[in-house]
Amino acid sequence: MPFLSHGSYRIRYELDGPAIGPAYVLVNGLTQYAELWAAYRDALVAKQFRVATFDLLGQGTSDKPALFINQDDQVAALDLLIGELGDGPVFLSGISFGGLIALRYAITHGKRLSGLVPMSCFAELSPQLLLLGNAMRTGLILGGTSYLQDLLLPMNLSDQWLKPLLDKLDSVKRQGWLVNDVYALQNLMESFLDFEPLTPQLASIGVPTMILNGEFDFLTPRALHETLRVHIPNSSLVIIPRAYHAFTLEKPALTADLLARFAEDVLAGRWQGNKAVWIAPEEAGGALAPFPAGYDHLRAIPTQGMNP
Amino acid sequence: MSEFFGPLDSEGRVPPRQQTRIAAFLISAHGALARQFAFTLPMKLDSAWQTELNAQLHRESEIISLLLRATSWVPDLTLGYMAASWETAWFPAPMEGIPDRSLAVAAGLATLAHAVHAGIRPAALLPLEANADDPFVMALRRIEFESGRLLQAQILFLKGPELAPFRNAVSTALERRHAEIGKLWAEALEGVGITIPRAE
Repeated sequence: MPFLSHGSYRIRYELDGPAIGPAYVLVNGLTQYAELWAAYRDALVAKQFRVATFDLLGQGTSDKPALFINQDDQVAALDLLIGELGDGPVFLSGISFGGLIALRYAITHGKRLSGLVPMSCFAELSPQLLLLGNAMRTGLILGGTSYLQDLLLPMNLSDQWLKPLLDKLDSVKRQGWLVNDVYALQNLMESFLDFEPLTPQLASIGVPTMILNGEFDFLTPRALHETLRVHIPNSSLVIIPRAYHAFTLEKPALTADLLARFAEDVLAGRWQGNKAVWIAPEEAGGALAPFPAGYDHLRAIPTQGMNP
Repeated sequence: MSEFFGPLDSEGRVPPRQQTRIAAFLISAHGALARQFAFTLPMKLDSAWQTELNAQLHRESEIISLLLRATSWVPDLTLGYMAASWETAWFPAPMEGIPDRSLAVAAGLATLAHAVHAGIRPAALLPLEANADDPFVMALRRIEFESGRLLQAQILFLKGPELAPFRNAVSTALERRHAEIGKLWAEALEGVGITIPRAE
């Protein structure tokens, strides 16, 4: 199990796939750990990508700073990992908290990237997200990791995914409970106490950017992704049908396919962001459809948009 | 070596030798915290924050009482020298770099409590098959859960305004305490066939 060193801390990482060729770097969400990307490793390696996964500081098998975790240190750890990949094209993707770290990296080290895929992501804390985050932190403090998982599972996954697992949720939660510690998760959450919105810096992201957002994500709803679409010049927004915040867990085949196609399009010079809004197919391999003209993609009911 | 207790008996109970070792370690650590909280707590409270000190003292006492009664004790000849090294590690250690002596002592105690409450996770050693109705199993789950709550007082204090000017000293001392106690915990477990990931 290889580790990178950031100061006195160690960051556990894994590289899979061919050493030469384009690489995908995948950044975990706040309560996640690197093994949750296993299906992505398999799918992307099969398409000749090199795949880099790691545990952020405070997660899984990486070191867990006891009192403070600065988001800049997460970006520095990510830079160390990307430094391991040589000079080839690098595509960076992250979900939720990991998406935020990916955005920070793209702002400060954008020239090293060939493409960026923020998923279930945000550049600022809306009042709803701020209060939800506070409530989750309180839940963690009062009820421990298990209670936080109890909150997140129904919030972030669909009935279709949850229903067959209802009588074995303890086993679903167990690995996350084992590898994550209350104090470390709390430190990760408290890294937002001095958070400043990234929105003013988004325009500096020059790389092709595909923004992925679940249709029914109410933790980070469409409006938060719209901020990314509007401000990142070469971007497009892709809405994942019937998906919630944690669609990377629920729809790995579809999401990995979208990641691979995006990178292939960029490398082939076919990618055009145009700040377009697309609807992803229901299954991997299907065609993306443009969001119907004249309708407002920020609404859940078919309302005609303000701008034609 | 395994990451979990075992092999469990036919009723899903943890082997008594492992129970004895883990309970002895936890009683030693939480007992030290209880003693130090007791010495710090005045007979008559004169500050609001001392109500939390009172709570910490009694929660630590509860943990010790629980372990004494829930554990299937067996003789463990190695406990003598191990306990001596544990007790030495819990000695009060005022935090270096803080000129105010009473603040340095309080910060030192908070680092010890943080390391015990955050870094020692006895319930994470329970395999899936552990009997949820067994008192030792329930005791470990309760201790880990309560530790997560007790920890909040240490987090608030160590991150709070009084220690803000000493942030680097606090972080350094806390990391050192975590490493020290994590090492003792890992060694205690290794002696009864359990291995856990530890920092080099």
